[in-house]
Amino acid sequence: MSLERPTDRSDAVGVTEEGLDYDALADLLGDSVVSREQHRHTEAFTIRPDEVQDVLFALRDQAGFDHCSNVTAQEYEDRFETVYNLKKYVDPTQELSVVVPTSKDNPVSQSAEPVYRTADWHEREAYDLVGIQYEDHPDMRRILLPETWKGHPMGLDYNQEKPQIVTLEAHANPLEDDEHDAGADTMYLNIGPHHPATHGVLHIETVLDGEQVAHVEPDIGYLHRCEEQMAQQGTYRHEIMPYPDRWDYVSAGILNEWAYARTAEELTDLDVPDYAQVIRTMSAELCRIAAHMLAVGTFALDVYGEFTATFMYAFRDREVVENILEDLTGQRLMFNYLRLGGVAWDLPEPREDFFEKVRDFLDGLPHKLDEYHDLLTSNEIFQLRCANTGVLDAETAKQYGATGPVARASGVDYDIRRDDPYGYYPELDWDVVTAEEGDNYARVLCRLQEVEESARIIDQCVDLLEDWPEDDREIQSNVPRTLRPDDDAEIYRAVEGAKGELGIYIRSDGTDKPARFKIRSPAFSNLQTLPEIAVGEYVPDLIASLASLDIVLGEVDR
Amino acid sequence: MSVSEIVFQAGNATNGSGAANATNASAAGGGQTFPEILSGLLGLGPNPDPGLQFLFAIVGATLIAVLFLTIAAVGGIWGKRKITAAFTDRIAVNRVGPFGLLIIVADAVRLLSKEVIIPDAVDRPAFDIAPMVLPFSALLGFAVIPLGSGLQLADPETGFVFVFAASSLASLGLLMSGYSSNNKYSFLGGLRALAQNLAYEIPLVVTGASVVLFTGTLKLSEVVAVQSQPLLTIGGLTIPSWFAFVNPFAFVLFLIANLAEVGRNPFDTPEAPGELVAGYMTEYSGAYFVLLYLGEFLHIFLGGAIVATLFLGGPAGPVLPGLVWMVIKILAVYLFTQWMRSAMPRVRIDQMIEIGWKGLLVMSFANLVLTAILVGVIA
Repeated sequence: MSLERPTDRSDAVGVTEEGLDYDALADLLGDSVVSREQHRHTEAFTIRPDEVQDVLFALRDQAGFDHCSNVTAQEYEDRFETVYNLKKYVDPTQELSVVVPTSKDNPVSQSAEPVYRTADWHEREAYDLVGIQYEDHPDMRRILLPETWKGHPMGLDYNQEKPQIVTLEAHANPLEDDEHDAGADTMYLNIGPHHPATHGVLHIETVLDGEQVAHVEPDIGYLHRCEEQMAQQGTYRHEIMPYPDRWDYVSAGILNEWAYARTAEELTDLDVPDYAQVIRTMSAELCRIAAHMLAVGTFALDVYGEFTATFMYAFRDREVVENILEDLTGQRLMFNYLRLGGVAWDLPEPREDFFEKVRDFLDGLPHKLDEYHDLLTSNEIFQLRCANTGVLDAETAKQYGATGPVARASGVDYDIRRDDPYGYYPELDWDVVTAEEGDNYARVLCRLQEVEESARIIDQCVDLLEDWPEDDREIQSNVPRTLRPDDDAEIYRAVEGAKGELGIYIRSDGTDKPARFKIRSPAFSNLQTLPEIAVGEYVPDLIASLASLDIVLGEVDR
Repeated sequence: MSVSEIVFQAGNATNGSGAANATNASAAGGGQTFPEILSGLLGLGPNPDPGLQFLFAIVGATLIAVLFLTIAAVGGIWGKRKITAAFTDRIAVNRVGPFGLLIIVADAVRLLSKEVIIPDAVDRPAFDIAPMVLPFSALLGFAVIPLGSGLQLADPETGFVFVFAASSLASLGLLMSGYSSNNKYSFLGGLRALAQNLAYEIPLVVTGASVVLFTGTLKLSEVVAVQSQPLLTIGGLTIPSWFAFVNPFAFVLFLIANLAEVGRNPFDTPEAPGELVAGYMTEYSGAYFVLLYLGEFLHIFLGGAIVATLFLGGPAGPVLPGLVWMVIKILAVYLFTQWMRSAMPRVRIDQMIEIGWKGLLVMSFANLVLTAILVGVIA
């Protein structure tokens, strides 16, 4: 619970005082490494498609890369490629990319799923959108698109004009084959895609044994809007920035924008003035408060019922944040406020009024949080419902690539703001909130405490902005009219979004548009843990667990 | 007709034998039932021809039904929104008519003009009967409740048993609607409703029985009459011996069990919006939905009426007429359920059954035994 980073595992291969020793890592892998190249953020090892598991096992168990942050698939003129962006939970600045090329005529490579559970969904998405097959994968199906879809939309030879017929295969019981006893009392239940508790359009295929959950499978993709493809059609400078607002669309907009800003700025070597960084930090934390309020409010909705006061309280308080953000950005949800190299405009005039508004909100916040604690965390029925339900232990969380409050509530002390610093966070005084229990209760508690920490950050930002000399208020650095990163530069950068690690992988091809734009969505990975935490629980706890994961389908499906 | 005859005879029999209670009973709003009063006013004597008795009973029943349907309309459509809004820091309806009151008309028209959609493969006629059973059972219960100002349809010796029997008919309606809807959410909701009503019916009745130990009668008008006696006097203010004051423990138990009985937070598991969409109501629409919805509110009001009759002195109260006091007490209990709804989380179905069977049942029996001992010692 501090700004100090947890101590690193020094016995892991390749860890030195100066950072990662990639030669030692290459030695560890020996002949498996076909070639090495330099990505913008780290070094990349190219390996053979039939040695993926060996390499990743070695990297995980001996070199300590326990976090498979992102899996990107892409098609080149001459080959397919899967890029695994590996990190460490203890120190996400220790990174490594593992590149697995496969041939055009036989795009098959070994699955990473046995090493990292999270690769399950990531590889399904890669198969779905790009068309790479993964050997040894437990469930090689489409994930975002319907089962009946023809072709792989992000492949180079995909025909966008071709009409597609989409059907829903409903009422398929995944446990049917297991039921040798004809009298087995299980019931298949479709929760969603239209259900009050799915927080959007999520379909959960559930098998119930009485009231207990015997099997859960989230079926996603109902809100897939080709965000990656759209980003690939936009120019770096202005045309991509509006899209991130639409990922985690419930008020986490600026946090999302920052993910793109950070990645693109590092790709194109842009500086951001300190003043803009402070504004970014402040507005991003305001977004985090708004997002966490919504998370807590909707969680209450699922545990209490539709007439709960907590939900309206959360919305009332979120409204204040929205008003502040509206003053700042001119928008309430789709902010489009960050620019590469800074922010769109300075604080609204008169500045004093704006500061007063923010301060009023911050001053009132402790009292409001007390109310939430009265209504939620100190309520005995609430504790009865939430403590020890939906338990996610730390190891499972890491296996699934869980991040954000979900991981932190399970005792994984991982926060990109502190561990891989960006913006103005390193200069400020705040704590990373963690809990050990990993249950629904801990996740809610974590979010409520993170609101407090965000408020601390905002408070310090306002102090800084108030005293900032008037002639030094530079909101944007000098950015070229057209941004053309180097040909074939690759980068993966992440920020701490409202739901966790929001990362973006970009490969440039020398033009002013990205050749590949991949979004690593935290909710996508977090949602993957649902079967782990919900199977064996009762239906109400399944709903509560889902709510405690705080997914936004716009971000899951992208 | 024969029922009402029996009721009248029973009523006459008690009036004849229970002379000691007669004064109290009249103080509490009359020992006569509404049809008797009506026939008395028309100068037909206490026991006119059965056809007329039937007619008077129908008039009384219509009056009571209209009264409570009106309260359900005001409380269910307008009041619920206003109350919930107050609890959740909102304003709620204020556009249609003064204080938004005309929303009742708008909503009634809206709800009734909606199409009744009957899904394929529902189990008729159970699907059609269920929406009638629910409000019917609640209204049936009101027949024996002494509503004050002489408004009591019948006053049988077994009023206490009758009112619980009538209100638990609702379980049948819930099960029918859940089972016949051909929807898994409805099915789960129906089963939950039944499990819940079974678990909480017993503590409810047993706790109610502790009141009967005090009164020594199942006749509701006498239960009310007994409560009008003074309990103690503090500074010139006489506190009546309402059983909520005499036995607060039983009162709290009864309120909790009643919450479960009407399916409100923290025990709203049968509907559980968010889990079961709308539980047993999921497949209902149009007028059928209105009936179920209405039935639910009538049940809350019946629950409130029972609480008022058994624990809050029935229609007794100063200055205002008995009926007004009764309605105030019923609405107070309704307010309580809405308050719980706004502030309380819903318990899980297994926890809820556990609380019912392991907690409330034990406590209600303990209460019964203690009360029996107490009453035995005093007597």
